[in-house]
Amino acid sequence: MIKYIIKRVLQFIPVFLGVTLILFVLQNVVPGDPIKLIAGEKKLDPQTEINLRATYHLIETDENGQAILDENGNTIETPLWKRYLQYIGGLFHGDLGRSYQQNGKPVAEILGEKYPYTIRLAIVAIIIESIIGIVAGMISAIKRYSAWDVGVTLTTSALVAMPAFWFGMLQQLFWGVFLKNVTGGSFYLPISGAGGPQAEFVDAVYYILPALTLAAVSTAYTARIMRSQLLEVLNQDYIRTARAKGLSRKAVIIRHAIKNALIPVITYIGMDFGGMLAGAILTETVFNWPGVGFETYRAITQRDWPIVLGSVTVIVIVVMVINLVVDISYAFLDPRIRLGSSKSE
Amino acid sequence: MSTNMKRRTFVQGGLAASALAALAACGKKNDAAGSAASGGAAAGAAGGKVLKYFITNPVAIDPYNTQETQGTQVEHVLFDALTGFDWDKKEVVPKAAESWEPNADATEFTFHLVKGAKFHNGDPVDAASFKRGWERICDPNMATPSEIRYHLDPVVGAKEMGEGKAKEITGMEVVDDTTLKIKLVSPMAEFPYICAHPALAPVPQAALDDPAKFLVAPIGNGPFKMEGEWVSDQYINLVRFDDYYGQKAKIDGIYFSIQKDPSTAFREFEAGNLDFTDIPAGRINEMKSKYGESADTYTSTPGKQVLTGLEAGVYWLTVNLEDEVMKDLTLRQAISLAVNRQNIVDTVFEGTRTPATSVFPPVIDDDPSNAWEFCRYDKEAAIKLLDSKYPADANGKRGIKITLSYNSGGDHENIMSCVQGDLEAVGIEVTQSSLEWGAYLQAMSDGTVQIGRMGWNADFPNMDNFIFPNFLTTSENNYSKYKNAKLDEGLVDARKTMDEGERKAKYRALNQLIAADLPVIPLMFYAHNNIASDRMASLYHDPQTKTDFAAAEFA
Repeated sequence: MIKYIIKRVLQFIPVFLGVTLILFVLQNVVPGDPIKLIAGEKKLDPQTEINLRATYHLIETDENGQAILDENGNTIETPLWKRYLQYIGGLFHGDLGRSYQQNGKPVAEILGEKYPYTIRLAIVAIIIESIIGIVAGMISAIKRYSAWDVGVTLTTSALVAMPAFWFGMLQQLFWGVFLKNVTGGSFYLPISGAGGPQAEFVDAVYYILPALTLAAVSTAYTARIMRSQLLEVLNQDYIRTARAKGLSRKAVIIRHAIKNALIPVITYIGMDFGGMLAGAILTETVFNWPGVGFETYRAITQRDWPIVLGSVTVIVIVVMVINLVVDISYAFLDPRIRLGSSKSE
Repeated sequence: MSTNMKRRTFVQGGLAASALAALAACGKKNDAAGSAASGGAAAGAAGGKVLKYFITNPVAIDPYNTQETQGTQVEHVLFDALTGFDWDKKEVVPKAAESWEPNADATEFTFHLVKGAKFHNGDPVDAASFKRGWERICDPNMATPSEIRYHLDPVVGAKEMGEGKAKEITGMEVVDDTTLKIKLVSPMAEFPYICAHPALAPVPQAALDDPAKFLVAPIGNGPFKMEGEWVSDQYINLVRFDDYYGQKAKIDGIYFSIQKDPSTAFREFEAGNLDFTDIPAGRINEMKSKYGESADTYTSTPGKQVLTGLEAGVYWLTVNLEDEVMKDLTLRQAISLAVNRQNIVDTVFEGTRTPATSVFPPVIDDDPSNAWEFCRYDKEAAIKLLDSKYPADANGKRGIKITLSYNSGGDHENIMSCVQGDLEAVGIEVTQSSLEWGAYLQAMSDGTVQIGRMGWNADFPNMDNFIFPNFLTTSENNYSKYKNAKLDEGLVDARKTMDEGERKAKYRALNQLIAADLPVIPLMFYAHNNIASDRMASLYHDPQTKTDFAAAEFA
């Protein structure tokens, strides 16, 4: 197992270098000069543009930070490979560069502010998704063709079909606007934001609507996967054998069926959690959640490459680690899976 | 489904919903009605005197780099510049400087500061603090150099400091604590207009001692001060500054709710959680009938809360004058005549914006003589002009093919579709090219756009600011690549004219020079699309989209 984990961790290196290198090359391919974009419609004056390029090491500078000019009096662009090496070098001491658009704020600081919100929201959403999804899927499978089953199937179909921004907006209108109006302001939920010291509600309340929205589609899928997997397992011979040996249905389901049915569900939830940690642009936008998804999206539109690179770097690492954890969890759920062992063993 | 089951399901569902609502009720902070002075949504929601205001995340609230509407909205109440602008009187008025005088040829201005004014930390607001503030804008060694240094181009030594050749702005002389002398590179009678820019503010020594802290918690000399730090993408809290030298604010504080999506902000407004926000596209008339329209279109009062006042901004089509097709003046004239501006304004903006007649919005100068000959809708005249040079074939085509470019998002696609329809109706074949913002700006800068949308919002509320940055041959923003020596000379002449009436007449004449060449085709003047809550007895939102928080009153 240890050998397997080391092997997987070593695999991180080429994946990570590949992804960051592709992004670095993309900076030069995607149209839109990040420095010109800082000013928007109103152009920068040439000297300010040079000062900004020098500050962000996009042009060659002398030891005083002044731009070095070529024989024609033009600035000299820092080669891509050099910037890439600088970036990788910076990573070793936690330097992810500085944002072009946010007054040179360190990217590590920006991500440090945004990531806790993304992680906490993802954890709440994944708990909702796991509990409701798995329980609904189990009930649906166990009480097949019952009203419960029909209800779960209809609800999951509706949730899957509903885009996050729409579902989010409906929730805001119901819990935040309608409920507040009909109860005269006695019962309602906050519509947006993440709380804070001067907010109306305690911070936990601000998680309810975005977490429900973020979890909605995934909960539906989890329930569906759980239902179909459990039905499949319940039809297998060893379940029949267990029942024939006199075990109660409840005992069979709890002790023998659920564990096996859970493997694909765990895989899905793990992948989903990885996706959530990359940020949820729509949910964050609708609920004004200060997470990393919207930050990355905004950075892409503004060509704020240090933020894009920084967040992708973190996302790549997080997703790789989660995938590893999911793979390792298989071994615990299914004794037949022995990670890192050869077939002959 | 049995009745029992139905009942149980109903009860369970009801319990779940009640649990959520109860959770929300329990989640309410006990001190929600907390003192208004503590600021925040809580106080506001509970009826305190804190104004809750929607903005998107600003670029900067530190004056050294304040540049866009959102940052300016916060910064202009934290800091007072030397002068201000009175939109009623249409004149520059004293602010941190109680008076000023130019020398005979408008190359030197002496400002006399208000005595006894203080920063929020108690430091005195003196002439040196203005020099300090302006030099931060020019300093190339700031963590990120300021993007608005060009505002100080008229001041002697500002450019040199930006180039790293000087350590100070040599044209700024601190005569004594309350006297500041500013030398200009060339005569400029309207320099006090520039001094009204909120970013040209004084800063205390603290700005140099801890610049990182100053970025998120700037210390100013304005009627409100920071309460805590700017929490990026979440909120900014301000409270009234009781030691303010001028008229003290009537409200206790401002809670800037930083939202990503204006639609969410609008729902917060509908839920009663915001006092001021934007109205989503297509809902202006609905809001007018629900909340009433402001009497003067700029001030909200209970029952008259929708603001649609014209802004100091113009939306135009920039024409690339180096393009083989577009360099023909007759074609430009025909295009300008063919566009039904009123139709765009009515269909896309519910009639709130106004068709443009020149590059000067009426709030900048409403002289009727400003109107351009070809800046009107006259389809027949457009056809006649085109017939003279580009006769139509049997299918009505004239062999003119143009690409109409714009950045995606906003209402640009709808506007450009209207323009396309109008141009095709007179036989011009139009292809639309929609580019993402970054790519569009690049294309504009590279000169690969044939004709595309652009606009201008005033940095300073004068006519010069609409001509100089956009049409001077050497101006950075001259996307049309317009060259007119007469205009260049005329601008220098107008800038040094001391008599206001004479100067305005000169700017109007320059406007007509541009009208004759049509380097841009003005389409419409921007207008507010905002709404305030009925909690506000009075809230004024000026044509430069700055809200007068100091004068705001609760009902």
